[in-house]
Amino acid sequence: MMAVMVLLAGAVVWKECGERGGHGFIRAEVFGGFEEPKITPPRKGEAPVFQEEIINKNQNLPFVHVCSIVELAGGDLGALWYGGPYEYCHENRIYFSTLKDGAWTAPLVIMTPEKVERDLGRPIRCLGNPLLIQSSDGSLRLLFVTIAMGRWSGAQINTCLSKDRGRNWSRVERLTLSPLCNFSELVRNRPIPLTPPSARGGEGWCVPLYQELIGKFPELLWLKQVDGRLIAEKSRMAGGCATLQPSLIPINKESAVALLRDWTQAKRVFMSRTKDGGQTWSRPVPTNLPNPDAGISGLLLSDGRLILAFNDSIILREKLSLALSDDLGASWKNLFLLEHDADAVSSYPFMKRTSDGLIRMVYTHEGDDIKMLTINESWIAAQPEGKLEPSVR
Amino acid sequence: MSLQTLHHLYAALAPWSALSLLLLGRGPYLSRVRIVGSLFLALFVLRIPIAGWTCFQWVMSLEPNPSFTLTALLAVALLQRVGRVQLFSPEDWKAAWFFGALASLILYPMGLGLTSMDPYVLGWRFVLPVAVAVVAIVLILRGNRFGLILLLPFIGFLLGLQESQNFWDAVIDPFYGGGAILIALGICWQGIRRRKSLKSL
Repeated sequence: MMAVMVLLAGAVVWKECGERGGHGFIRAEVFGGFEEPKITPPRKGEAPVFQEEIINKNQNLPFVHVCSIVELAGGDLGALWYGGPYEYCHENRIYFSTLKDGAWTAPLVIMTPEKVERDLGRPIRCLGNPLLIQSSDGSLRLLFVTIAMGRWSGAQINTCLSKDRGRNWSRVERLTLSPLCNFSELVRNRPIPLTPPSARGGEGWCVPLYQELIGKFPELLWLKQVDGRLIAEKSRMAGGCATLQPSLIPINKESAVALLRDWTQAKRVFMSRTKDGGQTWSRPVPTNLPNPDAGISGLLLSDGRLILAFNDSIILREKLSLALSDDLGASWKNLFLLEHDADAVSSYPFMKRTSDGLIRMVYTHEGDDIKMLTINESWIAAQPEGKLEPSVR
Repeated sequence: MSLQTLHHLYAALAPWSALSLLLLGRGPYLSRVRIVGSLFLALFVLRIPIAGWTCFQWVMSLEPNPSFTLTALLAVALLQRVGRVQLFSPEDWKAAWFFGALASLILYPMGLGLTSMDPYVLGWRFVLPVAVAVVAIVLILRGNRFGLILLLPFIGFLLGLQESQNFWDAVIDPFYGGGAILIALGICWQGIRRRKSLKSL
């Protein structure tokens, strides 16, 4: 019996070590840290770019939310969001639209609750928070959450794969990431590609994750894809009941800054840093930027400064602003007030730099529009930095 | 058989065993008709549709990964009840409850955010299988049959019977953990009362 036990334990350990490198694949020896951000500085005399557009002009849905963008193979831009009659409605679907020849295609339904229920063989309440990852082999991996019961605290993460640019999707699989009935794991914000240790090592991504069941805290989802097969595990950035929805900004392979949504009475954007490729993070500290318990998104600029989209208020989401930091997130100066309408909400920004050097940002506007802002670094440089101060003292 | 069907069949074992035990009741005499009837009735109840989904599918949307430990303990309880044989001694049960209580006290508070350290991550590393194997070997050496039950998470994990790929889910789930804490507290409370009454004599 002892021999059987030892053999079984050995087989399980071998299985764990074979797939995940024994210590988990977040260790630097298996994945070589964050992929270095490829940023080309603006050319001299480059004209400033500032464009705003509505992505889902003729969709006419009462509720749309949590938009994200992805640069597809070939350089086209794709946007996806979920929407329907209202936030927790079973009828909500995930929509996908691509930017072709300067115009957004009509939104295509890429995920329905019916498909999720059919594939998983169990009921769900509703779906939300979609995110797309473009693989180097041209396939698209969709990550999204579904609620089993209750509200977002009862959410679980699902994934599936498309090899034809989002028209057809593989069977939906559930990722088990939480010990208590797999409840309360949500994705939100830009995934960061990881440096593979070798050509045979597969592709890897670090996806911002958060939990909000009993505590509210930020986590990271580490994904490794080898021949279409996905291995997933997570790590924690901070515990407690204070911050969530991290926006990761890699500085180099080992260092990154995370900016966090606040759930405390501080009502500030929080900041944390890593120097070991995301394995350990400093204790989150409040910055001078206000946060009304709302999503944020940031990026690294070519001159080493950081740019952040945030709601410039401690109560409501009526103002959406851009801010700059020249000390890696420790202090911030307001750059530009994008939206300010006391009767409308602008929230959940998602910022991404595309290979043409432009900075694209999508966000929910007035609850039923998905708006995209396109800017370049020349436009940022032309702004009177620090003229506006953050709303909170 | 698809992997999903396998996951569903395995996940159905724990609720079916628990429901069968409930239907069998605690009466001293069990007729063969009662036994067979209870086992089939439990199966029937799990297949009753509610809002287009069977009771089992609703249960699975709540807990898709019942642990192999819980499933095995329910199977032992069911076999003992139906076969009127003692497979587990009170000491074996005690080990099961204290192991479950300890494991859930290690996993759940920290796993749900109490600290910056997340013990759930250990379920993807070699540490947890080695720790469980050591506990199982110690229990087997002491002649405790719960040690044999601890073989099953390893077998089930290797066969991929669960949707989860985290070894914690093979060992413990909130139902086993919660129940184990309550029963372990009860055992401790009884021990304290017994010691007090012995002192007063």
